[in-house]
Amino acid sequence: MRRSRKDINRPLLILLLGIAVLLPLVVRSNQYTLVLLTTILLYGVLATAWNIIGGLAGQLDLAAGAYLGLGAFTTGTLLIRWNVSPWLGMVLGGLVAIGFALLVGYPLFRFGVKEVWYALSSAALVEVLRVAFLIWNQVGGPVERYLPYHEWSLYHLRFATYLPFFYIMLGLLVLALLIHHWIRQSKLGYYLMALGENEEAAEVLGVNTQKCKLQALSIYAFLVGVTGGIYACMYGFIHPNFFSGPMSTEVAILGIVGGMGITYGPVMAAILLVSVREFLRANLGGQLEGLYLVVYATVLILIALFRPQGLGPLLRQAYDRLLARVAKE
Amino acid sequence: MSAPILQVSQLTKRFGNLVALNGVSLEIREGEIFSIIGPNGAGKTTLFFNIIGLQKPDAGRVLFKGTDITGKSPHKICHLGITCTFQVPRAFANMTVEETVRVGAYKRYQGREMSQKVDEVLRICELEEYRHQRCSDMGLAHLRRVELARALATEPVLLLLDESGAGLNPSELTGLMDILHRLNEEMHITLCIVEHVMQMVMSLAQRIVVLDHGEIIAEGSPQEISTHPRVIEAYLGKRVVC
Amino acid sequence: MTETFLQNLINGALTGCIYALIALGLSLIFGVMNVVNFAHGDFVMLSMYLTFWIGVWAGMDAFITPLITFPALFLIGLLAYNALIDRTLRQKYVTQIAVTVGLMTFLRALAQLIWKAQPRALPYSLIQGSIQIGPYTILASRLVSAVVSVLAIAGVYLFLSRTWAGRAIRAASDDLDAASLLGIPYRQTYALAFGLGSALTAIAGGLLMTFQQVDPTMGVRFGLLSWCVLAMAGLGSIPGLLISGIIVGAAEAIGMSFWDPRARSLIVYLLFILVLWLRPRGLFGRK
Repeated sequence: MRRSRKDINRPLLILLLGIAVLLPLVVRSNQYTLVLLTTILLYGVLATAWNIIGGLAGQLDLAAGAYLGLGAFTTGTLLIRWNVSPWLGMVLGGLVAIGFALLVGYPLFRFGVKEVWYALSSAALVEVLRVAFLIWNQVGGPVERYLPYHEWSLYHLRFATYLPFFYIMLGLLVLALLIHHWIRQSKLGYYLMALGENEEAAEVLGVNTQKCKLQALSIYAFLVGVTGGIYACMYGFIHPNFFSGPMSTEVAILGIVGGMGITYGPVMAAILLVSVREFLRANLGGQLEGLYLVVYATVLILIALFRPQGLGPLLRQAYDRLLARVAKE
Repeated sequence: MSAPILQVSQLTKRFGNLVALNGVSLEIREGEIFSIIGPNGAGKTTLFFNIIGLQKPDAGRVLFKGTDITGKSPHKICHLGITCTFQVPRAFANMTVEETVRVGAYKRYQGREMSQKVDEVLRICELEEYRHQRCSDMGLAHLRRVELARALATEPVLLLLDESGAGLNPSELTGLMDILHRLNEEMHITLCIVEHVMQMVMSLAQRIVVLDHGEIIAEGSPQEISTHPRVIEAYLGKRVVC
Repeated sequence: MTETFLQNLINGALTGCIYALIALGLSLIFGVMNVVNFAHGDFVMLSMYLTFWIGVWAGMDAFITPLITFPALFLIGLLAYNALIDRTLRQKYVTQIAVTVGLMTFLRALAQLIWKAQPRALPYSLIQGSIQIGPYTILASRLVSAVVSVLAIAGVYLFLSRTWAGRAIRAASDDLDAASLLGIPYRQTYALAFGLGSALTAIAGGLLMTFQQVDPTMGVRFGLLSWCVLAMAGLGSIPGLLISGIIVGAAEAIGMSFWDPRARSLIVYLLFILVLWLRPRGLFGRK
């Protein structure tokens, strides 16, 4: 019996989603494991969002931390000052992130800032915002600002357990994957892939490359901004260090290691690498500070050197082989 | 004689001290096969880039069907009906042939009509069997046809081809010339061929201009050009000696 | 007001000479082989720690340590080139960035592992005291640092223009294919450029340790800083690098005293972003 890929793909995805949904039941009330799983999902969302601007459009963005911070600060400040529900706050945070992305992206793309220089200027943005919020005492400042404590409040998105955040993040990941999948099949997706390969060639085929890049940047910024809102609620405070350079580069690395443009690549990379990192931290971190990062960085370098196309194609091959075997039986 | 579709007047482009184009004027008429030839470094590709909008001229104007398109961005010019292929193919390496052609077809179509356009163009360019092949796996001759196909998918009125015959063997060249002939006669696309390969130009083009050191030195039919003394001196001379 | 301004301008300009030296190393690496090195700032950090180590263990003054750290960093640079960079030359720039970001993380983690997270500083330096010119105080350590930096930059300039190896580097940066035809081995040339570019951070690291402390996260700051100087100068102009370094150093110092001490990096990065927007080829660049 021969089955097409599509017939197998969908049930498989639903099965994986089902496993993910049931996962917390297995770990029960082990908060450490829950945080770990939620963190993996968080990085999965960020890397999937990055995959739109970085993977499809080929713009090496290193500013995830900027949009994450903006989302977190918008949501957090609205909740602390005016008791605005984070559900609304995170959407507004996403919009603030879009606004900032457009403000910065327009001149960048207008003046043709590309490749390395785009990467560097986006990395600089994160630092600019971090320092700006450190100085801006009314909203930021050097001290953590705590969100109001609630044992269990859906309105305030504050819980004494990480369990709800796991499910919220899972939902967001599914949303991000759907958006990525949908874009990839759309006109915008084809335009982004084309300009990511060769901007001039895309232009003469009628692609408004500036506009498309801004659209991709906005979608990415929005998703990361919303994630930032949830991030703030999950940790219960906001701090200028949320504008984190290392986190931004890590998101990009996950995108690259996952295989640029491949829908499920970054999630796979997030599951794999964040687990490895946390495993190393748990087992090596106690004895020697920094050792787990040395090992982790070595893993990254080795993957980048020997699998420059990322792990995505590798996983795809393995999956195809598996399908072939299943089809034979 | 039909109406001019593209008018270039007094186009000048400098790179620092180097004058790449010096007051170039020419006219392309609707429905013809027009050709620009000239030795290496004559400014052919620069002229081409300034028409298509990839570079902005320092002086002069480009009119397309009477509207000024000087310095407009390439995607706007494409929308009006001019597109091009490149001298060194700029393939979308990680995309398949079909996906590449879709990028062009999306210019004017959506959904089912878009897919039909893709099928049509792939048939014209004889690429149907390579539909699902990735561009990074294809040879030069096929890549040139993919470039042609994706450009055709945008439904151009005027198509500029930059040295699309370079590096092809005689049989590949004949194949390409057949396709170009059909485009011109059946689909009524005006062609402007920037070329180095003389054989192709002489049998295809109806009118030729010769560019040397950024200036037009001759203009006329293939017969007139091949006997023009300045052309022989600047360009063909080398070949006559061989 | 004017006095404070000028005092900061002088201090900043002197520090800026060191920044120019760091950026010169980066410019050798990026300009010659088009390699995007995100780990350059972490080489500076590494140099500073090595200086600290030698200072503590051998009691050597920070000014003299480059005698040891310069060859050490040159070797580390060669190693990094041969083990990592050479393999990425034919890859997309994205792969290069992934590899050098990995190297950056590696070096930072290594520093944390060996020297722990708290800042380290050397207790004293041979060159003490200050010079008083009118109302302005110039710290001797800064003045000497600036002079040494400028001399080092001049030395590199002479190396590039007068020696065969230096000319090979320049030829390779202009046109690699033509250079190969002339019999210039690209691999050795690239390795030399990378080694030299890294070794220059050794001098900078020694100079910096005479008046400031080091911590493992410092690399990012120097990395972005040197990219900023390079972006402002454009490729291929050594005097341009010096001027840009001085501008960046001065802007940093003035921002710190007139706005907020924490605004230090803010000024630099804003400057960087503005330069990229308005003058993508830099103020003095030829490419």
